[in-house]
Amino acid sequence: MGAFTSKEQATSVFTTLFDILLRDERFAATVRDENLSVQFFHSAPDLTVFVSADGVWIDETPSAPAISIKMSCDSADALWSGRLLMPIALATGKIRIKGSVAKVIEFVPLLQPAFDRYPAIAAEAGVGARR
Amino acid sequence: MTQLADPAALTLADVPTLTALPGEILALRNTVRAWARERLAPEVRRLDEDDAAAFDWGLVREGHDLGLTRLVVPKQFGGLGQGEFGVAVALEELAAVDAGFALIFGATMLGQAPVLLSGDPRLQARFLPLFCGDHPVLACNAITEDQAGCDLLIPENAQFARGVMRARREGEHYVLDGSKKFITNGKVATYATVFANIEGQPGATGLTCFVVMLDRPGITLGEVADKMSYRSCLGTEMHFEHVVVPEENVVGGEGGGVYVNIQQMNMARAAVAAISTGVARGALEQAIEWAGDRVQGGVPLREHQFTARKLAEMSAKVDAARMLYLKAAHLADNAIPAPAYEPAVAKLFADQVAIEVATEAMGLMGARGYLRDHGMEKRLRDALGARIYEGTPEVLALAVTEAIYTDDDF
Repeated sequence: MGAFTSKEQATSVFTTLFDILLRDERFAATVRDENLSVQFFHSAPDLTVFVSADGVWIDETPSAPAISIKMSCDSADALWSGRLLMPIALATGKIRIKGSVAKVIEFVPLLQPAFDRYPAIAAEAGVGARR
Repeated sequence: MTQLADPAALTLADVPTLTALPGEILALRNTVRAWARERLAPEVRRLDEDDAAAFDWGLVREGHDLGLTRLVVPKQFGGLGQGEFGVAVALEELAAVDAGFALIFGATMLGQAPVLLSGDPRLQARFLPLFCGDHPVLACNAITEDQAGCDLLIPENAQFARGVMRARREGEHYVLDGSKKFITNGKVATYATVFANIEGQPGATGLTCFVVMLDRPGITLGEVADKMSYRSCLGTEMHFEHVVVPEENVVGGEGGGVYVNIQQMNMARAAVAAISTGVARGALEQAIEWAGDRVQGGVPLREHQFTARKLAEMSAKVDAARMLYLKAAHLADNAIPAPAYEPAVAKLFADQVAIEVATEAMGLMGARGYLRDHGMEKRLRDALGARIYEGTPEVLALAVTEAIYTDDDF
């Protein structure tokens, strides 16, 4: 059984998560100054999440993303919850990234506020309730 | 089989760097080339003939001043923020003069890679700024053991690995016990990324990566290996006896070591292919000079058809090796996980080219090619070195065929 019960649930959780990230001063400044954009390609349920300094888009691609990240919603849940560590996720192919690795290396540590906040957001939305 | 790319699918934007280096990389290449020719080249014979344990910190400091110890460190920590592409181009320039010196900086980047790939801002903030100060700091990657070489690199073989260094969890830290062998920079590094097996796991199935400061109590360094070549860099035994490492120094979690190492290798192989390409290019350039000056039968050697053909084939091989490593580095800079196929192919080919070109170049120089005075015999010894580390031809062949039979749709 997957962590998310519906696309609506996944959409709500990831929109909330990245809205919070964009309110993080360091994350927002870096994304803006470096003109960074990232698009997550999630599967099961299928949805894309596009994040740039201008906001969060679901299933829309306002411009070509600098970084593309592909993973299942279950892997995303495990990653943000801290159960799946980034190096292992990358090496085992559970997460696939395309785009400048230099930008990715710069970008990933900026996600720390998302790791900190995700468990509470997910719990509130009932993610993983069927596990 | 997406690894065998359709040439028609490659646009100029995909691989612009195969025909012209970007300005920033070109400037880096020219800077490193000038330094290697002016400062490193005059010292090569001394470095080669010196005692096995001798190490030239003066030249390393000059390399540090050029940025070679912090090429891949992100700019926010004071590094140059280069990717594999810039690293490979720089290492070719060093290896064209001395492969051992290229490996000093290459091994440092190998030790930096797990910290970079960790995505852990705390780990990065603690270790990466070390390389960006006034004094040169080197790192090393400690995985190879006396009884465990390829078994630590091939995941399926992990269960068979013998004599693997042990890690035991005690509260909020780990205790490491065991030994490592042939560790490049082990004698001169400030920290090591050390791979040890969590106690109770069979073979190396619990392989785990630790960042270990080498001034920790319990660490002793053994003899420096007396190598055939690559003598300017030091390969050393390292012994760990009850070495305490805090849990926050683990990269990739318990049991994540194999995966961390796969990532390292796929990133590093393009750079080692560049080192072999540099060795081949150095031999070719020396052969070109010799064949242009040396007169036999009333004309320079290069005007003899057999010699001309050899030079042409050597030149084609060096160019082909460079194309392969540039492509591999470009792909490694734009995808995580780094591709397995292209870096392995690039290294497999470049290692062989280095041996072939250095052998032909030595033959062209006749007796002088065999003498130490002219340096060509040292290039041949250098050429043989790269077929050993970061994947032998046999290990690379396994990686290549595995990738050929693996579909990749992203």
